[in-house]
Amino acid sequence: MTASATPCFATEGLTKRFPRVTALDDLTVAGGTGVTGLVGANGAGKSTLIKILLGLLSPNSGSASVLGLDTATQGFEIRRAVGYMPEHDCLPPDMSATEFVVHMAQMSGLPRTAARERAADTLRHVGLDEERYRPMGSYSTGMRQRVKLAQALVHDPKLVFLDEPTNGLDPQGRDEMLALIRRIGTEFGINVLVTSHLLGELERVCDHVIVIDGGRLLRSSAIREFTRAEQTIAVEVEEGQQRLAERLTAGGETVAAQGRLLTVQVAADDPGRTYDAVRDAVCDLGLSLLRLEQRRGRIEDVFKEPVA
Amino acid sequence: MTTEPTAVIHDIGYRHYDGVRLGRGRATLALGVQSLRGVFGLGRTTRAKIMPLLLVAIMLMPTVVSIGVMALAKQYVMPYPGYAIFMQAVIAVFLAAQSPYLVAPDLRFRVLPLYLSRPLTVTDYVLAKLTALAIALFGLLAVPLTIQFVGELLVDLPGPPHTGDYLGALGGAVLFALLLSTVSIALASFTPRRGLGVAVVIAFFMFTAAVSTTFFAVLSVSGRDSVAPWALLLNPFFLVDSVQSALFGTAPATGEGYPSGIASCAILLAVIALAVTGVLLRYRKAAS
Repeated sequence: MTASATPCFATEGLTKRFPRVTALDDLTVAGGTGVTGLVGANGAGKSTLIKILLGLLSPNSGSASVLGLDTATQGFEIRRAVGYMPEHDCLPPDMSATEFVVHMAQMSGLPRTAARERAADTLRHVGLDEERYRPMGSYSTGMRQRVKLAQALVHDPKLVFLDEPTNGLDPQGRDEMLALIRRIGTEFGINVLVTSHLLGELERVCDHVIVIDGGRLLRSSAIREFTRAEQTIAVEVEEGQQRLAERLTAGGETVAAQGRLLTVQVAADDPGRTYDAVRDAVCDLGLSLLRLEQRRGRIEDVFKEPVA
Repeated sequence: MTTEPTAVIHDIGYRHYDGVRLGRGRATLALGVQSLRGVFGLGRTTRAKIMPLLLVAIMLMPTVVSIGVMALAKQYVMPYPGYAIFMQAVIAVFLAAQSPYLVAPDLRFRVLPLYLSRPLTVTDYVLAKLTALAIALFGLLAVPLTIQFVGELLVDLPGPPHTGDYLGALGGAVLFALLLSTVSIALASFTPRRGLGVAVVIAFFMFTAAVSTTFFAVLSVSGRDSVAPWALLLNPFFLVDSVQSALFGTAPATGEGYPSGIASCAILLAVIALAVTGVLLRYRKAAS
């Protein structure tokens, strides 16, 4: 499944040069509904692309559209319909999250009463409770990221641009943020374009991933394409990893050891056979099973191709 | 018998917003109102309220004294048109304290990109900020003048009320508001640091006042009486006073008279245009 019939955003031969660097180089890409990941190293052109899509920066050549609107001429309409969470810090420390999000809702054109309601709702959805009445100067990074996300969602946009939302978060905060992004794309029904320089974290939440490097498109594919390609299960046992591997291999399974984990390739023709084999092997050998989980093929592996 | 649950908490989940979405104008208005309230410390911390309220209180003192003198001595001691000149130090402090508040935090904490990712343009943003400070300054001048005028009417001084003076001073207050707020915002917006902004704005008003007085004195002493009055116009307060006296026929606060009304008007417009252009250019750059 690639981009749907009406792409959320699309670019055509987009090129943006700054005096000292070419940020985007003839980039043609489209993103459909759901959660789209935009991956690239720092300086790959992700933020530049978002600014062009917001209609804040004009490209040297090429064109771009968002929700069917032309970024060159309809930037104003685009900015009414989208939300934007910048990569950098953007919160005045002496305001409370509530005041700030209400204000930003008004800046998007919501009347004051509606702005208050929406701000309370949105802050609750991103998981900010009593602390939302405190000045934001005292917030942790995780809380600040949540407020930044709330101000991007408060006016109920059709599409949000999230620029590096997991930046600076600890592993747990990262997981929570990613789960939240997944919810925005599914439960909230808001299309998401999320950037990250970490490919691994996007595979968990995205429907579609676009990889750019040096302003050029490296690859654009739906997540399902690679998950179908390689289904594996990971098994971790307390002791006897070696014996388990031998037993499974003898039974005709493809097994590989990754540190303390055994990864077993799921038989494409008969998936149930592999699961049964693992269960029986663990039982018969009397091993203590620590972990048994489904693994999708890592996008990282798929993209590990020579970079042009 | 089964017990029916009496209350259930429903997770209503995410709700979409399908109410009205106002245009750019209303967003700009909301920003202007928020800024105007903020100038007087409303909706901010208690600490932020002290300075503006103190300055408002100081601005009202001459009014109280003046009404007292009018009531007791039946004398018109403080003419309306000279009020702003008389209070220029307080006004300068007010502008220095409050104009960086309006612009610096948005630059320093990088809130500006959030405004610009919404249906607001750089021009709307600048317009909202300039208007907020101009209205604040107009209020700071017009309220004491109006109180004094009401006081004069109530005291019922001998002779006709000084309605012409009062209206001229109100017209002058508009000019003061336009010139001083644009210049202050222009100066304050060049640094994202609020403290530095305060210093720059107060230094500007002190410097222009000092230079203008010095040049005037030197030129007068050296006998160049025709050139000397031009030196007064270096002080923005005297510049507005000269335009005020040219347009509304009020008495010059310096008692010296100004060179040419038309020239003063032209200079005033030029300075306002320059300041507004400066602010717009500065924000165009900040936005990119």
